[in-house]
Amino acid sequence: MRAIVVRNLVVAYRRWFKPPFRAVDGLSFEVHQGEIVGFLGVNGAGKTSTIKTLMGFQSPTAGEARIFGMDATDARARQLVGFLPETALYSPYLTPYETLRLYGELHGLRGRPLRAQIEALLEAVKLTHKAHTLNKNLSKGMLQRVGIAQALLGDPKLLILDEVSSGLDPIGKRELRDLLATQRERGTTIFFSSHELAEVASICDRILIIHHGKLIAEHRLSDLVGRVDSLEDYFIRTVQAGHDILNEEVQAA
Amino acid sequence: MMRTVQITRALMTAGLLETVRRKDLYVVLILTVLLTLGASAFRVFGVQGLEIFVKDVAFTAIGVMTTILTVLIAARQIPEEMQRRTIYPLMARPITRGQLLLGKWATAFFTASLCFVVLASITLGLLLSLGITVKPIFIQYLLLKIFGIGWLCAMVIALSFYLTPAANVTLSLILAFGSGVFNRLLLMAHWEHGLDVLWLNLLYGVLPHYDYFDMSKKVVFDWDLAPWWVLGVLAGYALLSGMGWLLVGWLRFRKQTIG
Repeated sequence: MRAIVVRNLVVAYRRWFKPPFRAVDGLSFEVHQGEIVGFLGVNGAGKTSTIKTLMGFQSPTAGEARIFGMDATDARARQLVGFLPETALYSPYLTPYETLRLYGELHGLRGRPLRAQIEALLEAVKLTHKAHTLNKNLSKGMLQRVGIAQALLGDPKLLILDEVSSGLDPIGKRELRDLLATQRERGTTIFFSSHELAEVASICDRILIIHHGKLIAEHRLSDLVGRVDSLEDYFIRTVQAGHDILNEEVQAA
Repeated sequence: MMRTVQITRALMTAGLLETVRRKDLYVVLILTVLLTLGASAFRVFGVQGLEIFVKDVAFTAIGVMTTILTVLIAARQIPEEMQRRTIYPLMARPITRGQLLLGKWATAFFTASLCFVVLASITLGLLLSLGITVKPIFIQYLLLKIFGIGWLCAMVIALSFYLTPAANVTLSLILAFGSGVFNRLLLMAHWEHGLDVLWLNLLYGVLPHYDYFDMSKKVVFDWDLAPWWVLGVLAGYALLSGMGWLLVGWLRFRKQTIG
């Protein structure tokens, strides 16, 4: 079963007196159920535009994006998805508990199961002691934890995380990694973009690298072991070359 | 349908909590009470027969404050979610854009109506404590104002998809406060050119009529109850026109890129 299918995706933005800017330019890839896939690229490569399209925040200019076989713009597709945006400042006038209750109710949860899930998630992200403090009084890292908790509401089958560890301190990053490992054990598919390549190397099965809206490399991390010094070196070389320099080597081997 | 109700209820609860925790409502409340008390203070100078004056000041203050509060509450519903990026986790849920729009309208309508009822009740209590009474037409005034709030929320939310927040607030306040003046000018033009002038009739039909929902002067001058069918017709106008505004907003929002 494929959790994500992206085929010939084009996302273009109109500009005054200029041709449209193609943030995503004919991108195609698939993510299978249970996989953890890192979506890499420099700033402006088209990662966020792709993720926005997958989440139905914008319609593709051409091509298609599907989640569990459903069109990404179909609201029902999001029943199976948890999403953590790059930067989300949750309502300053709500508490983490109220924030999670809002998103839980929007997800279709209610009553005792919702309360139990909120309490378990606050415990998991270590925010139980701040459950009833207004969001405006929480640190950036704590708000990011609220975000992680809301992404996990409703036991999603697919987690889409945009710049997952931004704002987290080293302990928070470690806890997040453990949390993602738990999700992996449950069979949750995880698709995330990140600039933290060490983190990507530690939890991903596969990486996709995009540049100027095009896929320039796609590898299982196990294929790269022993062939590259570090993921960071490989990423920089690949992006600088603008194409997948190891593709041929790996295939030849 | 049940799902839409659940979504609307969730958004309304969160919206109400936010409004209560902000300070705008309390400022408005204090200002209205101060204005009413200030008007009644003329008694100290021995001025007799002040009832109508005090009532006029009180109901004008309620009208102005309610309109400002309604516009501010409705204008921030969607733009603020976009600005602080909370729209992402909201729209990441299995809800359609139409459901979000409806939920946000209901939140603004419910919150602004509640503020209005609280404001009107406190002012009524204040007037009664000063020995000033109002006739049962006050109930019709409350009902009609609530229809107007629903209509105004729909217009402001629709305009928020086309204008910047500042431009939206400015234009909405001009349309709300100016509607009475515009319509009086149009009536004068009708008087001048006759009732069958097409462009005048078109203009009258297109211009928003927030002034239809204001019965405050009738309360001030102790009118008897208006026929209930008039309120029915005005409720119908608020409903149809409000739905029209929401449709205008949805046409833009349904394909809009979020963020």
